[in-house]
Amino acid sequence: MLLQVEGLRVTYPVSRGWPVPRTSYLRAVDDVSLNVGAGEALGIVGESGCGKSTVARAILRLARADEGRVVFDGVDVTRLPLRALRKLRPRMQMIFQDPAASLSPRMRIGDALAEAIAVHGITHGGDARRLIKETLSDVGLPPEAAARYPHEFSGGQKQRIGIARALVLSPSLIIADEPVSALDVSVQAQILNLLARLQKERGIAFVFISHDLGVVRHFCDRTAVMYLGQVIEQGDTRPLFDRPAHPYTRLLRTVSPVPDPDIPVPPLAVEGEPPSPLDPPPGCRFHPRCPYAAERCRAEIPALRPTMGHLVACHFAEAIAAQEDA
Amino acid sequence: MSAAAPVPAGAAGRTYRPGRTAILIGATIMAAVLAAAVLAPVLAPHDPYAQSIATRFRPPSAEHWLGTDGFGRDTFSRILYGLRVTLLTAFASTSLALVAGTALGIMSGYYGGTLDRWISAANDLLMSFPQMVAGIIMVALLGPGVTNLILAIAITAFPAFYRMARSAALALRGRDYIDACRVLGYSDGRIMLRHILPETMDDMIVVGTLWLATAVRTESSLAFIGLGAPPPAATLGGLVREGFDNLLEYPGLAIWPSLMILLIMIGLNLIGDGLRDSNDPRASA
Amino acid sequence: MSVLHIDDLRTSLTLNGRQHHAVREVNFRIEEGETVAVVGESGCGKSMLAMSIMGLLPSIAVVTDGHVVLEGKPIERESERQMEAIRGARIGMIFQEPMTALNPVLTVGEQIAEPLRDHLGLSRSEARRRAIALMERVRIPSAASRYDSYPHEFSGGMRQRVVIALAIACGPRLLIADEPTTALDVTVQRQILDLLDMLQDDGRMAMMLITHNLGIVAAHADRVVVMYGGDMVESAPVRALFRNPAHPYSRALLASLPRVDRDLSELASIPGRVPPLTRLPDGCRFIDRCPHAMKICQALPPRVPVADDAEHEVRCWLHVEGSGRDASAG
Repeated sequence: MLLQVEGLRVTYPVSRGWPVPRTSYLRAVDDVSLNVGAGEALGIVGESGCGKSTVARAILRLARADEGRVVFDGVDVTRLPLRALRKLRPRMQMIFQDPAASLSPRMRIGDALAEAIAVHGITHGGDARRLIKETLSDVGLPPEAAARYPHEFSGGQKQRIGIARALVLSPSLIIADEPVSALDVSVQAQILNLLARLQKERGIAFVFISHDLGVVRHFCDRTAVMYLGQVIEQGDTRPLFDRPAHPYTRLLRTVSPVPDPDIPVPPLAVEGEPPSPLDPPPGCRFHPRCPYAAERCRAEIPALRPTMGHLVACHFAEAIAAQEDA
Repeated sequence: MSAAAPVPAGAAGRTYRPGRTAILIGATIMAAVLAAAVLAPVLAPHDPYAQSIATRFRPPSAEHWLGTDGFGRDTFSRILYGLRVTLLTAFASTSLALVAGTALGIMSGYYGGTLDRWISAANDLLMSFPQMVAGIIMVALLGPGVTNLILAIAITAFPAFYRMARSAALALRGRDYIDACRVLGYSDGRIMLRHILPETMDDMIVVGTLWLATAVRTESSLAFIGLGAPPPAATLGGLVREGFDNLLEYPGLAIWPSLMILLIMIGLNLIGDGLRDSNDPRASA
Repeated sequence: MSVLHIDDLRTSLTLNGRQHHAVREVNFRIEEGETVAVVGESGCGKSMLAMSIMGLLPSIAVVTDGHVVLEGKPIERESERQMEAIRGARIGMIFQEPMTALNPVLTVGEQIAEPLRDHLGLSRSEARRRAIALMERVRIPSAASRYDSYPHEFSGGMRQRVVIALAIACGPRLLIADEPTTALDVTVQRQILDLLDMLQDDGRMAMMLITHNLGIVAAHADRVVVMYGGDMVESAPVRALFRNPAHPYSRALLASLPRVDRDLSELASIPGRVPPLTRLPDGCRFIDRCPHAMKICQALPPRVPVADDAEHEVRCWLHVEGSGRDASAG
């Protein structure tokens, strides 16, 4: 396993109230375990506030893990001294949602790439320039791009620059946090195809975070579904989306628009919006919105257990499946 | 996603830069003032320290352009030399405050936590005194002398730079590209120096120019209440103070250096305001 | 009579003294009870089109040709005061970001009641009663007690419901929804779209749904207008567009969509990018990215029916008799 996340917990202090604010703790990520093999693409899906971005930030130690381990290639990243962490950084890179915000605005593209190369002593002089040129062309940018500033590029091109900056360090894992959701549909396809090619040609593993199930189905081998800080279902992408077991995954699948007018739109069985992660409901966190909720769901947190070919955190997964199939 | 057709920057035809005229006038004034200070030994017709009982309180004449003071010293020459000390004090103290304030401010904003709490608390303490009072206390603590004067003024100016740099760093720390730098394995020092500092420099220079004017005023005010550079060194504030003793009989002795202070203030404020306007995208809308 | 008829509309922007056509000869109708989706990527002119209809164009933009006909009467030259009355009473509007449409210092109830008093002349207590009824209609739970809440006390989805209540307060004939769910999570998005469908069926309202999401179009629209670079490149009933897209851009757009219900080997992507407004080609605006570009494409293509279906129109030389592939040899 290239990356193993075990029992990860991340809490944020939140000040609320007026005139005297009180500090409460938001459990953004609550006991999450994941793993990613070399060259594999793992998708994490869920709605805003489900903690999917915090998982990404904790893997890269941009957020502090309160509990649990993030083991990358045998090394626990959460306890690594800073100097050793910086040495490890080139191997795990990140692509951001807003490509404009992720580039230093006053730095030419070539200089930004050269800085990353120089800091890690990857190569020097003419070789460094050649590496920059090759990487730019690999992501579909002309060599002249090196002399220009970020604001001179379109959104899709900026995302290519962000990808190039990660690639010069030859990473074995890229965390992509909503990498295409700020882009237009036609550009989104360009970037997805580019990432797929990099995964295949360079054997890079991906943790791919998205709210768009279609994009995740296209790109990811395996997928984890998150709800209010917890993974509620996990497994191979195709069977997961074709036969979802958890009622929340079913809901996500139902509301994901399909670009085909002949496919009937199933009626919406679930009302309401996700509750605030500041005071999550007891028991199964989905029970207030779940049409199948029973007494047990209100009291007992369901464990993530293997059933129906993947991991599901639902007390009644089998019964619901039987009922739906009937 | 639903943005309207893209409108290129500067869409409204000719771009109007609001600060340009102000900067030009301010820069001309300051260039002249600086030249006068630098060339004081050449330009001054007399030795500013040479006393002569025979020429006490002379009115302006061809020999003494702005007259002489109670010790018979040439007022024009004394203003030129006073300008040197005043500007030196102002530049030195503002630069000191700018460098220290920016460095500590960026560190505070970037690291946050305990370091930020302590520096910010010390800064708040400093700010709780009115600027003049803080200056008086500093001079009283440090003792007289130009170096201590510079230090005292720098300390009173520090909070302005510190707060500005801290809030800028705080805002930038949350931006994706700083996260990107951390993921790329850059050290904190490199991130602060190469990726945060350049973003704050525009604002810091504007504040610096405006605080240069304040430093001139602080120096003059301290000198006026007798806490300036010790005699016989002339500073503009010191000259005003000396002239004040004979204000009713010989008003020129206080007025001429005051006018020089006013000129510097106008020049620096024109530059500072002009720079701020041309930096601020809202002002050019 | 159509509720809305966009008749060869042209809207121009003046930049650096030069005129650019942000909307060029757009032509479609919306009938009573019908939803027409306007789809396209950023810079396609769909928002400029909406602003032209509502009379909310920025000062550098102006409708230069054609008409916006609302219930038989052209409104594109109406005065600002008359447009205000039309916007309040006959056209309702919903925007992407509900918070920008709401006043943060007024309670949501007051904001819904205001147009009722302004446009319908209701008394204060009557407006309050009607506002609460409207809040119930857009399914805001315990509406009466939430009348006095402020927008920041609502979730994103509930805010959008408030905006919808505001938009339908005076019973408009036309509802313009500009990316109404783009800022919302998918589960909430579906609730809002279902709500719009329901309201529309009740009131026989016509709806113009501006979106970039073709999945939403497939499920919620009756007809589709595809825009590219300010041109309406294709207009079709929703099934005809998805089954038989005629314009190369529509085809490429549909082929570039990843799908949640089936596997695709590779996504078709359109090379290049949408040209900026200042560099739009004179003829077909898709010419630089089109795999079928021909010499004749340097002239503006006419609108032609597809497969003799009067409802299905495309603006493309490929579909003009006699100018097809043979002409490309010349």
